[in-house]
Amino acid sequence: MEAIERIRDKARELLESQAVECVIGYERATDNVGARPLFAYEPGEVARFIFDQTCHHNLTRYLRDKKDRTVAVVAKPCDSRAINMLINEKQLERERVFIIGVVCPGMVEVGWSRPSQELQPLCRYCRQHTPVVYDFLAGEPPAEEPEPSPPYPDVAEMEGRSVAERRAFWSQHFERCIRCYACRQACPGCYCTECFVDRLDPLWVGIRIAPGENEMWNTIRAYHLAGRCIDCGSCQQVCPVNIPLMLLNRKLGKEVEELFDFQAGLDAETLPPLVTFKKEEKLEADL
Amino acid sequence: MAIEYQPRIIGFLCSWCSYAGADMAGTARIAYPPNVRIIRVPCSGRVDPLFVVKCFQQGADGVLVAGCHPGDCHYVEGNYHTRRRFALLRPFLDFLGIERERFRVEWVSASEGRRFSQVVSSFTQELLSLGPREGPAER
Repeated sequence: MEAIERIRDKARELLESQAVECVIGYERATDNVGARPLFAYEPGEVARFIFDQTCHHNLTRYLRDKKDRTVAVVAKPCDSRAINMLINEKQLERERVFIIGVVCPGMVEVGWSRPSQELQPLCRYCRQHTPVVYDFLAGEPPAEEPEPSPPYPDVAEMEGRSVAERRAFWSQHFERCIRCYACRQACPGCYCTECFVDRLDPLWVGIRIAPGENEMWNTIRAYHLAGRCIDCGSCQQVCPVNIPLMLLNRKLGKEVEELFDFQAGLDAETLPPLVTFKKEEKLEADL
Repeated sequence: MAIEYQPRIIGFLCSWCSYAGADMAGTARIAYPPNVRIIRVPCSGRVDPLFVVKCFQQGADGVLVAGCHPGDCHYVEGNYHTRRRFALLRPFLDFLGIERERFRVEWVSASEGRRFSQVVSSFTQELLSLGPREGPAER
């Protein structure tokens, strides 16, 4: 049976038995090319669910809005890591989420009239094609997960450049930032009720759209996700000026993996590296 | 006449060890370069990476964070957190184009006035050889 049939059947079953109030999944967008989120409350709506390579949204972003209800969510492997991350940070209760995991073939870019054939860059480096946590799995998991080497080719390429080149690269990107904060809104990890950037006193980031302020915002946004980013790429996907935000997140991800042997969201119990420490560890070489 | 370049260093010193260490350098009449502007913080764990990035954004040439030696923290474990936090921030700044050498974390105890002086001198020397920081023309 096709994965999508299994998702629809499961969603119908959950809604009919009233095990969940709502099933969050994907439906075809009005442009007939891309996908958009669908919140199904009635069993009759489940026929609208789809799942294919255009379903790039990370739907776990909506889970905190429905914190007090029981909902089901369609989760790709990276999204499932976000659920673990949120449970770990006490933002979600495992009992209130029914996870419909999907085996992910990788997502493609969506063009104007048809989806492209190329995988999104992030999906090419993906090391997780089966969700790490689920209640129900649609699709056949691959026999073994790919192990790209090096695991962070994009970051390694950037590290190979000189400091001056990197500075020029980032300043031409940050210059274009319009500070719409779409990256923050799309991120499952950015859930602070008051973001540092919205504070007026102290004014950490000035309200001017100026290169220095933009740099400040983008640096700290990424740093706040150090050891927490689950590599879903939503921030980059929604960026209206195409700043390679995931390159920042993945640099921190690489450092966290090398220094602390940790990847966010693989389970819900391990404490993320920045809330804990080991007395005996030797980090002085990096300071 | 061109004005000779002098680096500006912002130093976040923990109130219990490093600030006292700097004070010790003063009372013991140990000279150190006047390039460092000292900000006293209750613990090196108080220093949010945000502060460091903000300093660089506002035009600092170098940032120094100094605290008690690991194991000697007045709040028992503050500096362990500092250590992890900045071990991540340093390569990240470098990735963004702010040279690794411009950011330092040092452990200076209250009795180490001489060490404080050495830290500031060597940091200043290093920044002098790096030259002024190139940032966006308009901050």
